[in-house]
Amino acid sequence: MSAKRTIAALGLLATATLALPFAGLLWATPWLRLHYAAGDLGALWVSIGYTLLALVIVVALGTPLAWWLARHRFRGKWLVDALVLLPLLSPPLAMGLLLVISYGPYGWVGHPLQRAGLLLTNTPAAFVLAQVYASAPYYVVSARAAFEGVPRELEHIGLSLGRSPWRVFWRVTVPLSTLGLAAGVALAWVRALGEFGIVLIVAYFPQGIPVKLWVNLQEVGLDAVYPLLWTFFAVALPLPLVLGLASRRQAIY
Amino acid sequence: MRVACRLERPLPLDVDLQLDGFTVLLGASGSGKTSLLKAIAGLVAARTEPWSGAPPQRRPVGYLPQGYALFPHLRAWQNVAFALDGPHAEQRRRAGALLQRMGLSGLDQRHPRELSGGQQQRVALARALAREPQLLLLDEPTSALDAVTRDQLLAELIGLIRAAGVPALAATHDPHAAALADRVALLAGGRIVQQGPPAEVFTQPASFAAARLAGIRNLYTARVVAHEGGQVTLDCAGLRLRAAVPPWLGGSEEVGVAIRAEALALATGDGSNTFTARAVAVRAEGLLHRVTLDAGPVIEALLPAAVTAPQVGDGLSLTIAAAHVQLFELDIAADQPSAPAVASRSG
Repeated sequence: MSAKRTIAALGLLATATLALPFAGLLWATPWLRLHYAAGDLGALWVSIGYTLLALVIVVALGTPLAWWLARHRFRGKWLVDALVLLPLLSPPLAMGLLLVISYGPYGWVGHPLQRAGLLLTNTPAAFVLAQVYASAPYYVVSARAAFEGVPRELEHIGLSLGRSPWRVFWRVTVPLSTLGLAAGVALAWVRALGEFGIVLIVAYFPQGIPVKLWVNLQEVGLDAVYPLLWTFFAVALPLPLVLGLASRRQAIY
Repeated sequence: MRVACRLERPLPLDVDLQLDGFTVLLGASGSGKTSLLKAIAGLVAARTEPWSGAPPQRRPVGYLPQGYALFPHLRAWQNVAFALDGPHAEQRRRAGALLQRMGLSGLDQRHPRELSGGQQQRVALARALAREPQLLLLDEPTSALDAVTRDQLLAELIGLIRAAGVPALAATHDPHAAALADRVALLAGGRIVQQGPPAEVFTQPASFAAARLAGIRNLYTARVVAHEGGQVTLDCAGLRLRAAVPPWLGGSEEVGVAIRAEALALATGDGSNTFTARAVAVRAEGLLHRVTLDAGPVIEALLPAAVTAPQVGDGLSLTIAAAHVQLFELDIAADQPSAPAVASRSG
């Protein structure tokens, strides 16, 4: 067998291994007896609604940060880099515990917030908080790379054509980094939607899809997860898949 | 128009330029030409006169970088309209008019990748003119043009800029481009070593650095041997040459000598400034031959094609008019004749 064929065979083998659980799901789903368990649809709306909210917060906080990291050199930048990566590198369970320590009812941030009326345990706000921590670093890393991919010279030209930095950002930088920014949003979307560890600890309620899946598994059994599992894939995957494939074929300009 | 600029990074420059029409800034690569243009445009931290301290968006400067930096996501007319204000239809009309002035009618809707190098350059020029600049800055305007059409496109570009009535400063390392300019400034060692009309700068280089930038390859230090009748006799590493007495000569014993390769000719008799030399290397350049000769010093001559081409090892009799032996003062210690070309040929 030629080297080329060996590589292709190994590649196919690896692909088959990665695809196996998905084929298994297709095979094992009891298609004729498929029906939602009580509360499944509620979990779907909780997931979609709060994940969208979390995404808005992630983009609003993450975009200026990504821009700052992409375009400015300053002392101690390595420290900012490390701090951005910390939540991404922390195991979800540990991250959830950290959030409880700080934002919980007795935490040094959570306590004053609670007195001001914002409870960050088992509330929608806590749910969104958990999702923001789960997804923000992914968006920041992608958005930074997207901004770094825009030639500085084009921004310089924009300025020398008499436009303000703000306007150059919107008319040059953003259009030229759209694909990378969208990939970042898609990645953040799928991370936030699927986050289980952090959410479980900080916000067992309201229940989104991941926690509800776990509850169904515990209380009813494997049969009860299929409908919600399919729904989850249908909601979570289209956006990142399309953008992932598009950025693989990136030759827009 | 006068432009002064002083910067420390990325390299120290202290430059004072007098601009007149289309001015060419000639400098070797790495001499800081791009940094200087960026500094004038406000894109590199520097002290500049005028516009000191102003951010780039408040300097009435049109900057055309190498490669032109057109916005790839915008059509030609949208690139031009980037600097325009007012209602959409008005922007569209003014951008179209500017493109038409550049001879680009019908290309308004093209994206930059659908345009040739020369067309991209003119879109970039239209875009720069759209903001009505007081000064145009062009970085290596000939580098992205192909060799065949380069001179013609450059001449057209200069024509368009003159028609727009905006003074321009074009940085290049190409002495050909400088020949078309209204004024030339030579940048070396972080300073302007000479500036003036091209005829003056090219025929009377003021230093080795200036002569090298003007494209002169035969550079020597010579000793003044005799001085009579409006002419001096020089000893140029063993080669005796006569030259017109420059007004500054005084009692100088050592002078700099620059000889253009095209100023040498095959001698027909035994006149003054005639010498024989052995050909060391021969290279055809179109109808001419670039012959490297050992005449004591190594000297390069650009000779018209004879019936038989000179061969390596041939002894050739060459002559040069005294007026073409260009002399200049040796002043500073840094000013050495060690042009890389001369050093490598003699080594």
